[in-house]
Amino acid sequence: MITLKEALSLSKEELNKFKKELQTKIEENKSLNAYIDVMNVGDGVPIAIKDNIQVKDWSVTSGSKILQGYIAPYNATVIEKLKSSGLSPFGRTNMDEFAMGSTTESSYYGKTQNPVNAEHVPGGSSGGSAAAVGAGLAIAALGSDTGGSIRQPAAYCGIVGMKPTYGRVSRYGLGAYASSLDQIGPMTQNVEDAAILYDIISGSDTKDSTNAMMDDKVVPNLNATRKLKIAVLPKYIENASQDIKDAYAKAIEALESAGHTIIEKEMMDAKYDISAYYITATAEATTNLARYDGIRYGNRVDGKNLEETYINTRSEGFGDEVKRRILLGNFVLSSGYYEAYYVKAQKTRHIIKEEYAKIFNDVDLILSPVAPSVAPKFGELANPMQMYLSDIYTISVNLAGLPALSLPVMKNKDGLPVGLQLIAKPYDEQTLFDGSLSLEKGVNYGVF
Amino acid sequence: MQVDDALLTKLEKLSFLHVSDDKREEIVSQLSEIVSFVDNLSELDTKGVDDTFAMSDRATPLREDIPSSNPSISEEILKHAPNSADNFFIVPKIIE
Repeated sequence: MITLKEALSLSKEELNKFKKELQTKIEENKSLNAYIDVMNVGDGVPIAIKDNIQVKDWSVTSGSKILQGYIAPYNATVIEKLKSSGLSPFGRTNMDEFAMGSTTESSYYGKTQNPVNAEHVPGGSSGGSAAAVGAGLAIAALGSDTGGSIRQPAAYCGIVGMKPTYGRVSRYGLGAYASSLDQIGPMTQNVEDAAILYDIISGSDTKDSTNAMMDDKVVPNLNATRKLKIAVLPKYIENASQDIKDAYAKAIEALESAGHTIIEKEMMDAKYDISAYYITATAEATTNLARYDGIRYGNRVDGKNLEETYINTRSEGFGDEVKRRILLGNFVLSSGYYEAYYVKAQKTRHIIKEEYAKIFNDVDLILSPVAPSVAPKFGELANPMQMYLSDIYTISVNLAGLPALSLPVMKNKDGLPVGLQLIAKPYDEQTLFDGSLSLEKGVNYGVF
Repeated sequence: MQVDDALLTKLEKLSFLHVSDDKREEIVSQLSEIVSFVDNLSELDTKGVDDTFAMSDRATPLREDIPSSNPSISEEILKHAPNSADNFFIVPKIIE
């Protein structure tokens, strides 16, 4: 597959021919189920779009039955930015319902396969975007990351996935899951393409009041030769699988030989991250998903009165995992439990944010696993609590609002990709991309 | 903490959701497992920590108050709504 950088220099005629061939290839690989369907807007470079980002006149359903029949009435800000930079939304990709999941198994459209091995999950929730890029069926894609939903599927599928600092990319037109955690980000074949796509989608937007209103760009200053101080977390990775530990050691060696300084640091037990995350995310999700009542959009299941219509619509429209999180969110917000759960989780977020700030007093970047293992097989994460535990290395980044980039480091003995992430200070995407570029060169994964 | 069937009934009401009889037991046990896990936060000393959290320490940004409207968005939404007429959404009878 050509890279995004290469594709940006193609003529309109070449791009139209390329897109016809790409459409055929996608149809020939139906069993992967990375795409829900393929539509095209304009004559630019094709970019695959996660099914929770509004593209005007497209059916955009967040992988849910409840949004069947909904047609997006406007473009998300990121889609406007793609179009004005010569890119075309091209196909919508599969995802866990309302981005709630780590495997893409909870989609209304069925599961997506891992392009490396069809018995394994592609990760989630942006599993369709990751599988499309990993299988050579997309030049690049957009995903969204609330607790690792870009970085984890990127790691499982052997591609690059980047979560920007909270506020860097407008959330206008992103189907809301947890508003204080959600960010849209690029999923690409390499680090440079991620930087290019990040520069295109980031920037100020008056339609999102949490936007950081910053317009600096990273590509003009990309520099893989900068010597950085990088924190490693020996104790934090103790419970990760041997594959992850091997990749971690390989990455440290590559970073050292590239001239970076490695500094050992510690972080508190990540079990608290999981608690703070699942309380915060479900509380926000409960509120955000209250709008799906069958009245204004999507799918309505009539009842004998209004209340029964709400209940029937929601009970038939939402899948099991979404229902679980709505119930949990209402629990942590309900009177009698609010202080002990929701408020306690917000206090914990301060502790997590300060812990990162303290580490960043001494270093430029942190090297961390993305997931505790390589992509599991289908069905292995059937127990919800087990699935939540698998988010252990990604969610604190969202809770603290930091930028992070997941990139492939090696393959394990079964040929499955092992990815790791670099984490940077808020708004320091430049250092994140510079360090990632250096690590990418050093580990020489080189599948594309 | 254990979640029981009475609490599930209360949460269903708050959530406008109905959990079918064959799934109740499973959901009660899953919610109990999750809530028991997140109880670990009580081990953390958070005395004196701010009880609200915002992603940015900056104030909400201000902009010029220039009115703008895109009527095509509401037209499109009404056109694709489950039931609508004369610029209104139609809902089942509210007053018995």
